[in-house]
Amino acid sequence: MSHHIVAVQDLHYTYADGTPAVQGISFRIEHGESVAIVGANGAGKSTLLRHLNGYLTPQHGTVQIGDFALSKELLPQVRRTVGMLFQDPDDQLFMPTVRDDVAFGPLNLGLPPDEVEDRVTAALQRVGAEHLADRPPYRLSSGEKRTVAIATILSMQPQILVMDEPSSGLDPAARRRLIELLASFHHTRIIATHDLDLVLDLCTRTIVIHQGKVMADRPTLEIFDDADLLRRSHLEAPLRLQSCPICTKRLPPHRDPEAHHHDDLVEPHSHA
Amino acid sequence: MAKIESAFFDISTLDRLASRDNPLNRLDPRVKVVTTLLFIVAVVSSGKYEVSALLPFFLFPCALIAVADLPLDYLLKKLLIAAPFALLVGVFNPFFDPAPQLQLNGFTVSGGWLSFTSIMLRFTLTVSAALILVATTSFTGVCLALERLGAPRVFVLQLLFLYRYLFVLIDEGARLNRALTLRSFNGRGRSLKVLGSLLGQLLLRTLDRAQRIHMAMLCRGFDGEVRMSRQLHIGGREVLFAAGWACAFLLFRTCHLPQSLGLLIERLME
Repeated sequence: MSHHIVAVQDLHYTYADGTPAVQGISFRIEHGESVAIVGANGAGKSTLLRHLNGYLTPQHGTVQIGDFALSKELLPQVRRTVGMLFQDPDDQLFMPTVRDDVAFGPLNLGLPPDEVEDRVTAALQRVGAEHLADRPPYRLSSGEKRTVAIATILSMQPQILVMDEPSSGLDPAARRRLIELLASFHHTRIIATHDLDLVLDLCTRTIVIHQGKVMADRPTLEIFDDADLLRRSHLEAPLRLQSCPICTKRLPPHRDPEAHHHDDLVEPHSHA
Repeated sequence: MAKIESAFFDISTLDRLASRDNPLNRLDPRVKVVTTLLFIVAVVSSGKYEVSALLPFFLFPCALIAVADLPLDYLLKKLLIAAPFALLVGVFNPFFDPAPQLQLNGFTVSGGWLSFTSIMLRFTLTVSAALILVATTSFTGVCLALERLGAPRVFVLQLLFLYRYLFVLIDEGARLNRALTLRSFNGRGRSLKVLGSLLGQLLLRTLDRAQRIHMAMLCRGFDGEVRMSRQLHIGGREVLFAAGWACAFLLFRTCHLPQSLGLLIERLME
């Protein structure tokens, strides 16, 4: 199953105003992997994502999606393979009703009407949003908008999902539902985010980007244990991996970092 | 700002009305669009001083309101919002055209007043017809009908997007305005210069958003054509609706019905 891979080789991109956004990024993501792309604001995440759906073409280096390298001729193929979730769902839901929006992609693929109908129903069911089908997108809550945006992508039946800040603007319950939904997918997933707790739940591997370069590309837990790396790339360990603010006040100020064990963190502890 | 916001947000009421199930809503949108256009042409093309000849045309909106069971007070409110525009167009007529045109029980009515009344009547007829069209067809339905009737695709697309992003734009503008209000005291900070840069901001944000929307559309295979999976069907009921009303408009327009009625009553009285 080599056709769900994403490989970026020595990618460079400089914007027209001279801002060097990406300066030599390389990585290879295999079929079924769930990978987080993290980094400070302006690190080059968005520019990188824009290459993965062919909105930008590499100025130097190559982007390979599935079996083919990204090029103008293969754009339709690439866009069918890669489903892209935008940061602001309002940008993504542009049709008058949710149903029209979910059907937009399949109709553009030229599918027969009854198959479009099947795909729309299946996609809405998959995310649990059948009841929203006839609503106009501007009447939905942020959480509902995000869910529907995911349905619009699923109806295209992509093999690779690329997501930009999927949890931004969601309340905690909506965020939790989103994480559960994303965890149930078997696609190759690439998630660019500042929400490192979400990374901990969803991604086994993390790529840290800093000033247009790959700073680290390792298993997620290893990266979050590397305090020095996190500090240098303007990040912070997920809150769950930081010590409990109430307990630390009672404990002696200096704890041996080697004694730190992930297992005790998961265990419920009481403050009574 | 709050007033404009709430007036616009009320547009969704029209959508709700259009999503109900009744014989009129079920008609093919194309037929309703064409019939409404015919109606508007018939009304607008009437003579400058026509008042009584316009009255039969009220049958059309009244009949549709009755069939679709539309809330009259809601439509009247919408008419009132738009009324200032028509008032402005006609308000000077009585001053510019004082020539007497009509003797009514000893009162002399000038041409200006007649044409002003005529403008207001035409405004009421055409705007209510347009409102009823949207309230029975939905804005999307109207766009779809226009496209199928051969309107330029770019134009239809613009209308659809206008409708979808109007709320987002108003939101964005309202946020900017709120931020400005919070930091301007005693009227200071509300100069034309500030307003200019505010509008510039709004334009830049809109351009950015347009670019992102375009990207989202490309991601899902957009190639210049918006396809919607709605089945349209013109059957006997549609033909009957359009033909019936077209004949009625022709009759209203060519024969002066109120005059004929008056003559008839006069003759009966004799």
